[in-house]
Amino acid sequence: MRMPPFQLHTPTSLDEAISIAEEMASKNQEFDWVAGGTDLLPNYKWHLNVKPNVISLAKISELTELNETHIGAMVRLHDLVQSSTTHPVLAKAADTIASVMVRRSGTVGGNICLDTRCYWFNQTEQWRESIDWCHKCDCGTEADCRVIPNQNTLCVATYQADLAPVLMCLGATIHLAGPNGVRSMALCEFFQLDGMTRNVLQPGELVTHLTLPEDVAEWHGDYQKLRQRESWDFPEAGVAAVWKKNGTTKPTELRVATTGLESIPILHTKEVDTYLEGWSGAESINDLAESIRKAVKPVQNTWFSPSYRRKMVKVLTRRACAGLVEEGS
Amino acid sequence: MSEDDNEDEMVGYRQQPGKLPFAKPGSGGKNRFSRPTNQDSIPESQGGELAQPWGSHRHDDLVSGQVIGKPTALVDGRWKVTGQAQYGDDIRLPGELIGRIIRSPHHYARVLSVDFSKALELPGVVAIATGADAENKFGVLPVTKDEHAMAVEKVRHVGDLVACVAAEDEATAREAERLIEVEYEILDSIHDMRDGLKDSELPIHDRGKYHIGDANVQKRVFQEFGDVDGIEENAIASHKENWLFAGVNHAATEPHAVVANWDPSGRLTLYTPQQVPHYVHRALADVLEIPMHQINVHRTFVGGGFGGKSDPFPHEMCSAILARKSGRPVRITFDREEVYWINRGRHPSRIEMNLHADDQGRICGIETDALIDGGGFASFGHVTTYYNGVLHTAPYEIGAFHYTGARVWTNKPASGAMRGHGAVNSRCAVETGLDDLAEKLSVDPIDLRLANLLPPHSATITGFRVTSIGMRECLERVKKESGWDEKFRKMPLGKGIGIGCGFFISGSGLPIHWDPNKFPHATVHLKIDMDGGVTVHTGAAEIGQGSDTVVAQSVAEVLGLPLDLIRIRSKESDTSPVDLGSYSSRVTFMNANAAISAAMQIRDELLDATVEITGAEREKLVIGDRRIFAKNDPAVGVSYLEALHKAQEDRGALVASGAYRTPPMGRTHKGAAAGLAPAYSFSAYVAEVSVDVETGQTKVEKVWAAHDCGKALNPLAVKGQIIGSCHMGMGQVLSEEMRYGRSGHLMNPDLLDYKIPSVHEMPQVFPIIVESNDPEGPFGAKEAGEGPLLPILPAVCNAVYDAVGIRTAELPITPDRLLKLIERKCKAEGVDDPIKLPSPRLEYSGLQAVLSKRAEDHAKRDLERRLNDNRQPYHNGALFGLDPTTPPDEVDEKWAVNVIPSEEYLSEPRLAGSAWKHTERRHRGDY
Repeated sequence: MRMPPFQLHTPTSLDEAISIAEEMASKNQEFDWVAGGTDLLPNYKWHLNVKPNVISLAKISELTELNETHIGAMVRLHDLVQSSTTHPVLAKAADTIASVMVRRSGTVGGNICLDTRCYWFNQTEQWRESIDWCHKCDCGTEADCRVIPNQNTLCVATYQADLAPVLMCLGATIHLAGPNGVRSMALCEFFQLDGMTRNVLQPGELVTHLTLPEDVAEWHGDYQKLRQRESWDFPEAGVAAVWKKNGTTKPTELRVATTGLESIPILHTKEVDTYLEGWSGAESINDLAESIRKAVKPVQNTWFSPSYRRKMVKVLTRRACAGLVEEGS
Repeated sequence: MSEDDNEDEMVGYRQQPGKLPFAKPGSGGKNRFSRPTNQDSIPESQGGELAQPWGSHRHDDLVSGQVIGKPTALVDGRWKVTGQAQYGDDIRLPGELIGRIIRSPHHYARVLSVDFSKALELPGVVAIATGADAENKFGVLPVTKDEHAMAVEKVRHVGDLVACVAAEDEATAREAERLIEVEYEILDSIHDMRDGLKDSELPIHDRGKYHIGDANVQKRVFQEFGDVDGIEENAIASHKENWLFAGVNHAATEPHAVVANWDPSGRLTLYTPQQVPHYVHRALADVLEIPMHQINVHRTFVGGGFGGKSDPFPHEMCSAILARKSGRPVRITFDREEVYWINRGRHPSRIEMNLHADDQGRICGIETDALIDGGGFASFGHVTTYYNGVLHTAPYEIGAFHYTGARVWTNKPASGAMRGHGAVNSRCAVETGLDDLAEKLSVDPIDLRLANLLPPHSATITGFRVTSIGMRECLERVKKESGWDEKFRKMPLGKGIGIGCGFFISGSGLPIHWDPNKFPHATVHLKIDMDGGVTVHTGAAEIGQGSDTVVAQSVAEVLGLPLDLIRIRSKESDTSPVDLGSYSSRVTFMNANAAISAAMQIRDELLDATVEITGAEREKLVIGDRRIFAKNDPAVGVSYLEALHKAQEDRGALVASGAYRTPPMGRTHKGAAAGLAPAYSFSAYVAEVSVDVETGQTKVEKVWAAHDCGKALNPLAVKGQIIGSCHMGMGQVLSEEMRYGRSGHLMNPDLLDYKIPSVHEMPQVFPIIVESNDPEGPFGAKEAGEGPLLPILPAVCNAVYDAVGIRTAELPITPDRLLKLIERKCKAEGVDDPIKLPSPRLEYSGLQAVLSKRAEDHAKRDLERRLNDNRQPYHNGALFGLDPTTPPDEVDEKWAVNVIPSEEYLSEPRLAGSAWKHTERRHRGDY
């Protein structure tokens, strides 16, 4: 396993980073951003979509701000877990990511922008040659998708990051910066349903930070994650649920989002709305869990089978919502 | 008794039909039969005048109280923890080239041409080799040499070697890889092991007249012992299960790496992390066509082997070939993916297990059918095919044993030997089967086992000679310490407890490569010069299991020296005596025995010198810490160095050579040698698990792990082996699997997707060491490296049953697999929610009292046998009313041994048994 050669750029400010990116674009040179490197560099070693240039964000201190409502893209996952200002559900989700060593290096921005994963994609070059290449990375070979053959338009690689569903539920806004200035949007609008495109980032654009609404502390909830091992493994399914109760037995507001099931994380607004109005406690939770199970469409490209992951979404949703029927939450 | 008495019974070392030397253990080079020891001479340090529950041992009077039995840090530990140990890839020679291997992207194909002209033009590329450079075959077993350094005609799995290149640096070598053009003709590949049993137009290998029909059957075994025809009539309860075991890989921390260098005198040195340096030594000589004496195999530190570094490997040949072509050292280091291509992991297996019990709660029949998936090459498979059967004929006394086994080639990376070689899967099936039998008989599964154990110094149904056996104590200890009686079938849904046992060889009785008449199994050389330090030359491969330490401990103990006076030289074949390497758990038993026998010679010389200096009576002298003195008058004595210098006066350095050979053992039927060992280890584990019935996730909470290792020479290392075995076995039972996708590709050749349990999954393990004091083992020791792995699998499976009432028959028990079974159970029980499932409960039947009584009687019988030197032979079958002193097939023709299937059997064979439908070509008349 050998890192392919690339030119590393280490800007010390956001402006410098963007101007380097702009310059690359003007010369038609391809590049990748690297934050913690725990996703990109293993992929590079596998020769997955390697670029000749890599711009490191490690030295840009303005991206590391962290408080209740502001999370810089370069905040390390470990620091997010440890910080007393982090929302408990977000801290819980962050604490399940990979291993403690990866969390020391990995960042919030990197986790949000995690590349999608697939058994037919995350393999060495030799291995991919043996399946006659992969649609997601070996462009130019005209390779078909190996998961769902005979369609080479959409990539079905799976988004397996833990933070996004929690942040979506908490109503996070994502802030981007690029050669054409800055822009912001709800995190739900950031993702784009395709395992290759993944999100709205334009060439030269990067995530600078996320903001959470002022009332974030009033939301309670839970994050549940399915995986084979309690360390290292990416989520085979993840369910975040947050709610407000305002002292009543019924939730006044409820949001549920899932990850690890499709090429993007999904906020299940429609399913929640169906059951929120006539809420009846455990029964509604069960109905909601069932409707979310039906709504997700995993494919056979991770460790567990799609049918098992769907079944587990139901169990995880029930468990994530368990606090709704418990006293005092 | 004198040695002459033994000579009457045994002539030479040839195996003698049916001769089982029950009373007279033998060991140690020429001194096959040691002098009997005086019961009174047991040293204080080993219990002194206290009662010796297992009797005395012939090495008791060699105990000096130094290191044996004390927790001892491994002698090479500091090299590792300070990062100074040099593993395969740490070897850096001046002017080295980097080698890379070009591998097949196809499952099965003919290699039509290899064009490397473009690659050779690339600046920095120095040499390229292909199959044409080395056409001689090799393989770990002399009977099944079927590998080439690189493909000569065909590639047999994705990742099979086609060519190799050496370049100035890795980047260039990788670039050259891309420039080598290989033309293939793709052939129809097979991936399901069941297809391997069928006739094929183009079998993966062609063994000429020895080929079995036109099938991909590499090896088949048929064996019947005992009253097979009577099973049906005798049985009142039967268990039948069809198992599917996924293949698993050793996943050693260090990937394979090798450096080859030809020195100016024309000799080859191969630096390689090998478990078995001697076999690669032989294979290199064959492949390179040079005599063995021109090769020095240098075993580097080994970052974990577990069986995965015990074959001679094609990449080792490649580095030597490239080094010869280029005239420079060549280093090849594997990516993790390549470790999976070379594999040699545990065979994917389909095992049908049938167990039968009679009205006395005796195991009146075991019928096993094992089809194992060998992948593209033979490797150790010949042996594995036997081991899947014969290694579960103990520790129980059984009425009949019927085994059919077959190993087939498929277009996958080759399976081979892995920790617990061949015994693990079928043991899991047997032990879960016994649990089920106990359920059907309504008795406690531990009592069922306790009432059916073979006694010490007995013969199994297949004729293995069991000497010491601590099985009973293992079972009793785990039963007590786990709180079994309060927990078994009494815990709530989702919580369970289960038992599993193990039995494993402590060294294989017959070496793979030579006639035991000509060479010992293990040899150890000692040299002591005037500085007093002892240089030990041994070929035993230290692979992290502590073989250097155990040899050093043995020498230190006999000579009364601290460990820092002992230096082990075990790395180079130039200086170390030939040794068969670290496999089949042979090192402690064989090398420590050889080391003791060498040290005894030095000890004699030191005692002679002491007599000369002090004039003391030789018989009264004892060896203590660096001092030799009279026991009755400790003031009379000399220091170790004084004695040493006296002994050196006329001759300089003291040198000695000690060796070990196994005693004659076993019977004479075809395959009788497979599974023979000079001693066997036993183990019993209880596992406690939690099962989440909604997700199917199983968590092992606690394991009580009792292992009979004879004598724990180093209790620290034994406990480490037990805990490590738990981890490895737990991986296989719960999460590890080499998963092949729908196109036959290995989907998870990396350590993220190959799910080795993490520290979070590790249960609390309570290691329990049981010491049965083996009469032939060094200081009483047997193996502890592989046996402890076996019981964890069935213990977990049985605990899962206790938790949710579900018997699994497919490993690993991943959550998705278990959930499917839970759903099926819910349907069967008419339950809509799994948390409403009933928890298994058990009411004892009348048989329980019968078993308890028999277990008590047998405990007395065993005690009597192990303390009485004049014991009678005991052959399996006595429990069924046969004469214990004679092999049963000699007194009852129903018990005749049979190794050829009958016409009747062939009309309705089981899965692996159907391999016998093919006729070997030489018998078919086409040769």
